[in-house]
Amino acid sequence: MSLRTPIWLFVNLVQPLVWLLLFSRVFERMVDLPGFTSDSYLQFFAPGVIIMTVLFGSAWTGMNMIQDMDLGILDKMLATPVTRVSIVLGQVFGSVSTLVVQALLIFLIAWIMGVDIATGFPGVLLTVVIVTMLGLGFAGFSNGLAIVMKPPDPLIAFISFITMPLKFLSYAMVPSDLLPGWIQVAKTFNPVSHSVESVRSLVIVGYEWNVIIPDLLILGGIATLMVLWATFMFRFRTI
Amino acid sequence: MDEPERANDSIAVKDLVKVYKGGVRAVDGVSFEVKAGELFAFLGPNGAGKSTTIKIITTLLKPTSGTAEVLGMDVKIHSARVRSSIGYAAQEVGIDENATGRENLVLYGHFYRLDGKTIRRRSDELLELMDLTEESGRQVATYSGGMRKRLDLAISIIHQPQVLILDEPTVGLDPQTRGHIGDYIRNLVQELGITVLFTTHYMDEADKLSDRIAIIDHGRIITSGTPQELKDEISGDVVSLTLTTDGASTSDGVLDSSREMLRHQPFVREIQEIDGDLNVYVEKGETDLPRILRVMDGNGLTVQTISLSRPTLDDVFLKYTGRTMRDEEGQRTTWARMQRDVRRRK
Repeated sequence: MSLRTPIWLFVNLVQPLVWLLLFSRVFERMVDLPGFTSDSYLQFFAPGVIIMTVLFGSAWTGMNMIQDMDLGILDKMLATPVTRVSIVLGQVFGSVSTLVVQALLIFLIAWIMGVDIATGFPGVLLTVVIVTMLGLGFAGFSNGLAIVMKPPDPLIAFISFITMPLKFLSYAMVPSDLLPGWIQVAKTFNPVSHSVESVRSLVIVGYEWNVIIPDLLILGGIATLMVLWATFMFRFRTI
Repeated sequence: MDEPERANDSIAVKDLVKVYKGGVRAVDGVSFEVKAGELFAFLGPNGAGKSTTIKIITTLLKPTSGTAEVLGMDVKIHSARVRSSIGYAAQEVGIDENATGRENLVLYGHFYRLDGKTIRRRSDELLELMDLTEESGRQVATYSGGMRKRLDLAISIIHQPQVLILDEPTVGLDPQTRGHIGDYIRNLVQELGITVLFTTHYMDEADKLSDRIAIIDHGRIITSGTPQELKDEISGDVVSLTLTTDGASTSDGVLDSSREMLRHQPFVREIQEIDGDLNVYVEKGETDLPRILRVMDGNGLTVQTISLSRPTLDDVFLKYTGRTMRDEEGQRTTWARMQRDVRRRK
């Protein structure tokens, strides 16, 4: 779908590019502060940009579900023998697959701009896994919410309300040591932090399995829960 | 497999009731049967309960009580089998605007678990049947309203259903396109022997297109039969009187006395009042029209305009409900509509 409406692909890619090109310059000297694991802010920030793109992309996917309901697309599908579960899973996985491609493109651009990936190609593959789980989590959450709420306005308000703090209360822009203590506590419950942490580790340090494995488990758990939530809401609200 | 009760009925609805949350009784004891190979119209104003009934038959809604059977299968118990054997096109053309016409057909072919070869063959046939072969490679976003509707019809029969259910197949189309869609539907019944149940709030459409009609209002079927049978219920002719000029409101006194006067004439069968005008149902219009004029004149009541017509389904509706079934459709500005309009403007 995105390929047929090039404007969206463009917008979705330009925004992270602005992040990469502009903000990596704005915050260039940040790395002089103690607590940074890298001496290049771009290196530090690129994983954050990837994760933010996936976060926003997936958190808004519920809008597609609402649109399908409004345009009668959903009813038309529900009147066919397609299993109910595959309709909602198709929505969630479809959106996430687009986002994975976007994440890879940003990775490519960051690499061209001079970001070294400590773990190389296997690290990129592992990033795909992390990003997929993050995307599934938020897409599942968003779709489940869309089914419950139905009219788009509360969903828009709610998604904006939660994505902003999730971003700033994460490690996306600043390393954990520089964040106040309470945010570090909040981080434990923030899937955005877990994904940034792992991807950053893969890019800057290498395979820090003691960081990556717990993060993967948490992200996987959240993804499973949220996809189940969307599926149950869908089963509950439709015949 | 359950033996169908009456093998002849493609659709059998019995005492159907749907009460929505909040207590709205959208469907209030509806019963009707559609025979195999029939083109059956469900006629009524907006909000009469047509779409709700349709959604129950197509397994999209659960009834509060009552039963609906399609080809002898209860829609609640055998919903999966019902879905495989019906085609459904809703009011809103629910197709992917970014995909091409053919891609949409193929997608739905897969939804009905047809194999690739069959899908290709049927897509070709249906695009041909609906005169969309040339446009099949274009994105649906570029299609006109009539083309979208034709594509939607094609999609709904890709799996060769025995029963086709259409909710307001011509709503929102211009009169000429409406006529065309009507022709396509007739064609489907004749060529493929499909049973069709469709809803409409256009009297003329139900009249021209259908073999039988059920008229529904406030969630109840008020009468049913062939278009001719229904019109025959209104025996004789209709004489319509306007008592004022330029839309100035007729005083109740004048209306009441005219009504009273005419009611006592032996040739008058019934009088209905609509918006300050009078519809007088008489046995033989040609001779009774001058009589009405004489009565009115003789009592000092002025008639501004007078016309004579054969009864229409509108008169049937009026007879049962005391209201006319005007097109009450206000433009619903839903999110969906706005979005679609915006997209089309681009």
